Amino acid sequence: MSFELNGATYETDEDGYLLNLDQWSKEVADYLAAEEDVEMTEAHWEVINFLREYYEEYKIAPMIRILTKAIGKKLGKEKGNTKYLYELYPGGPAKQACKIAGLPKPTGCV
Amino acid sequence: MGGGFRRVYPENRPDHGGINKDEGLGESGARRPHVASLQQFGGLLESKRVYLHLLVNPYSCAINFAFRYIKRIGWQNQMKGSGMSSENKINTSMIDDLESGPWPSFVKDLKSLATKKPAVGQLLGQLNQSYEDRWNYWQGTVLNVDGYGGGVIARYSELAEKYPDIAQFHTIRIIPPAGWVYSTATLRELCDIWEKHSAGIIQLHGMTGDILLLGSDNKSTFDAAEELMEHGWDLGGSGAALRTLACCVGQARCEMALIDTMAIQTHITNTYISELHRPEFPYKYKFKISGCANDCACAMQRSDMPIIGTWRGPMQIDQAEVGKFVDGHGADFVIDNVITRCPTNCISLKDNQIEVDDDNCVRCMHCINVMHKALKPGKDRGATILIGGKRTLKIGDTMSSVLVPFMKLQTEEDWEKLTDLVERIWEFWGEHALEHERVGEFINRIGLGAFLDGVGLEPHPEMITAPRSNPYIKFEELAPGMLEGESGHDPAVVNEEVESMESTNS
Amino acid sequence: MARAKKMAPRDNGAPDYKKNLHPLMAKNYGKWSYHEKLRPGVLVHGAENGDRLYTVRAGSPRTLSVDKVRQICDIADKYCQGHLRFTSRANVEFLLANEADIDPLIKEVNETLGFPVGGTGHSISNIVHTQGWLHCNLPGTDAAGSVKALMDLLYEEFVTDDSLPARVKISASCCQINCGGQADISINLQHHHPPRIKPEGVGVCELPKVVAICPVAAIRPRQDETGKTTLEVVDEKCMYCGACHGQCPTMEIRDAKTDTLSIWLGGKTASTRKGPSFMRLAVWGLPNNTPRWPEVGAAVRKILDVYKQTGRPYERIGEWVDRIGWKRFFELTGFPFTKYHIDDSPLARSTFNTSSHVRL
Ligand code: HEM
Ligand code: SF4
Ligand code: SF4
Ligand code: SF4
Ligand code: SF4
Repeated sequence: MSFELNGATYETDEDGYLLNLDQWSKEVADYLAAEEDVEMTEAHWEVINFLREYYEEYKIAPMIRILTKAIGKKLGKEKGNTKYLYELYPGGPAKQACKIAGLPKPTGCV
Repeated sequence: MGGGFRRVYPENRPDHGGINKDEGLGESGARRPHVASLQQFGGLLESKRVYLHLLVNPYSCAINFAFRYIKRIGWQNQMKGSGMSSENKINTSMIDDLESGPWPSFVKDLKSLATKKPAVGQLLGQLNQSYEDRWNYWQGTVLNVDGYGGGVIARYSELAEKYPDIAQFHTIRIIPPAGWVYSTATLRELCDIWEKHSAGIIQLHGMTGDILLLGSDNKSTFDAAEELMEHGWDLGGSGAALRTLACCVGQARCEMALIDTMAIQTHITNTYISELHRPEFPYKYKFKISGCANDCACAMQRSDMPIIGTWRGPMQIDQAEVGKFVDGHGADFVIDNVITRCPTNCISLKDNQIEVDDDNCVRCMHCINVMHKALKPGKDRGATILIGGKRTLKIGDTMSSVLVPFMKLQTEEDWEKLTDLVERIWEFWGEHALEHERVGEFINRIGLGAFLDGVGLEPHPEMITAPRSNPYIKFEELAPGMLEGESGHDPAVVNEEVESMESTNS
Repeated sequence: MARAKKMAPRDNGAPDYKKNLHPLMAKNYGKWSYHEKLRPGVLVHGAENGDRLYTVRAGSPRTLSVDKVRQICDIADKYCQGHLRFTSRANVEFLLANEADIDPLIKEVNETLGFPVGGTGHSISNIVHTQGWLHCNLPGTDAAGSVKALMDLLYEEFVTDDSLPARVKISASCCQINCGGQADISINLQHHHPPRIKPEGVGVCELPKVVAICPVAAIRPRQDETGKTTLEVVDEKCMYCGACHGQCPTMEIRDAKTDTLSIWLGGKTASTRKGPSFMRLAVWGLPNNTPRWPEVGAAVRKILDVYKQTGRPYERIGEWVDRIGWKRFFELTGFPFTKYHIDDSPLARSTFNTSSHVRL
């Protein structure tokens, strides 16, 4: 599968995850978020930015606990939990937020 | 469909050595299994494997001979008028064999379902292909219902071109009522909702304990989940989360039950429903609850935290019933099958009376199982809490080991003590475990002593079968004050300094 | 992917078990005092107040159509006041208040459902299994089908309750993750070479996670000709466990030509007598022979025959082999003992004979 955005073509897998992670951009994120019915706010971007920074450094998505801690540190304790993450991304941080952030689809049967 | 690497896989798989993959295998082709196995193993004639194979061969020949003559029903005829066009005939020649025999056949049942649910026919077609190729055609993917991080086991078929109705074919895990006791109204509701949205397959139950609903696609998974939740059902756990709990039938129908397994299971489920639905652990965490040491819930080796009913104080003995049992079975039977089987030699038979040395009884249940009218557990009841059981991956199987020898679990206050301990464990394990590390593996890595320190439990001799034999010990209290005057310090796992002290001194 | 915004309540939790209990279960909850085996597959539980609740246990294939579940419900409505239960081994238990209903119920269970009644006492109960080719992404063999084939052979042992020294629990696992549990007899799939990496997939997944999951550190990153990071497996280190395959489908470990089945003995979860035990390798190298796996059936039959002849009452398979010793086990069954039976894990030494006790 693929989609077109501003004249460029983006290959995705059958669930809409980018196949070429280097193609990610803010515009692509906005596009993927719209596909997921997620309206991107500042709070949403905090999560995406953290996911991307973590991935840049470690080449894996962080464990959820690391993500909630980081968010809690940045935005206050009451936001450092999974409930807050699912309010932002009802499809879940691992599945939905990673997709918008241009990270690989979680393949492990976890 | 572009790109996805798994898409190209079927063509890439190793070649299957002449197995005929044509549609509509003839009689000889379909009956090839045993022959094929010999061909397959022919190249290995020098190896011991073949020796083994030949060893069991007399049996297998007989069995094959028997099956060869079992009449099979031509399903393709049955399928006429079932919504599948004739050019789309589905080959089930191999799994047709599984319709015969005395044990109930899922193939037969699913075929009748296929007459109204074409996806099920295609599922059987794919299964048949797997039987022919000895190859699997499902790939895993992820699918979440809004607000949930698990509960759906999502699969795409690699044979979607041939079997379009199972292109997406998912399982929803549903939390069952504790102990798997149902009213038919409950089950019928489940069937009706599920049939409406899916191919209509139900597994009762998944090994974790969930109700497994098979056969929804990307969209109907959401629709079914919404309707199920509308009716009070809820999704089960998957991924690095608390998993759906399982318990034995307990006090609902068993005189052995020493704790209220159903109530405890329901309480833990509902207390930690968020942890069950939204993965946030290093890896999965399973509770299983058995009312006594018979462990009908298979808690000891299938859960991270088994809760096993037990008792303190004397066993209850009805000597009149003992007398009847001895008269009925003979003293020899009692000696051979009860007295000499006690793991701690704490039970004896004198003058047709049973005596138990209660201080040494380890509550194994054996004597009570055999003489269940004469012997009964004691009256002061509670549970032993264990930790760390899991199945093979990655370090091999681990058995759970004792964490709390005895805990009362009668009242809500008692339960609070349990959940308090659970939360301390999740906090410590969550903070220090590696990704994908079950709590049993974690304890193996850091040591049980360090784990006890970390979760705030005192060591207890019931946690071990014997003290260590290995003399290399870091006695924290006896270490000289070389660490800037500090003698006691935190356990190694939480304190990096311990490591550095070691290296500068060696 | 737009979704309906109206959402059902979330986090409902577990259904209320109390609403599902049979009236006699609810009435006598925690007040049961004894049970008796009336005949194979039929139990009665007696309460303190004299109430008696009858249970008829029937074997099911676990994977059921909604219609089959409704048929089960029809029978429970007719005889069981609309209540029934399932066991952890996928048996159905019909719950009856009235002893006279047992025979007609069994007739309907046999004839309408096609389910056999049994699985109590010293029998072989239903085989614990998982998904296999029906619905998992990892299997090297089938689960439901191999279980059906084996239960056909063990039917007599299911419908009787005194043909064996003790109960025999069997499990089947369709890959080396082994979702089927520990059991008296366990049939497990075995891989025989390291994973073959599908290069086109590498890079779309999280490489460090794949590297980290290997228990023996056999996977390491590698630069390919184009400078792209991919993975390689050190074949000598790899023990063919398949952990990496669960993490990343690119690490293809299965092989239709070489995967085999093995039989493990002596797993026990109950703490009765000497306590729980792990199962041990007994027979290996059996062919993955669809659709009936006759070699596996024959090997299981052989083991059961010898167990029946030499096991003592209440002695589970693991306890039996412990008593007679593995040497006699291999002698009596005729299966070869090989170097592969000797453990080489870090726990190996605990399985060596460190005494001069030998059976001569
Ligand atoms: C790697 C990918 C994995 C997949 C796709 C997977 C799939 C499944 C499925 C579908 C079930 C339910 C099966 C049923 O009852 O029909 C299951 C259960 C089970 N799995 Fe896995 N699993 C995976 C990993 C693991 C791992 C890593 C372990 C052990 C460390 C494991 C141990 C078990 C056990 C013991 C059960 C039985 C459940 C119980 O008794 O609680 N699985 N698995
Ligand atoms: S584990 Fe014990 S209490 Fe529970 S059903 Fe089995 S025998 Fe009864
Ligand atoms: S319960 Fe077990 S340990 Fe206790 S007396 Fe009976 S056989 Fe012995
Ligand atoms: S044993 Fe393996 S193949 Fe079978 S269900 Fe479990 S994970 Fe899947
Ligand atoms: S099969 Fe097991 S040992 Fe081999 S590379 Fe994969 S994880 Fe490592």
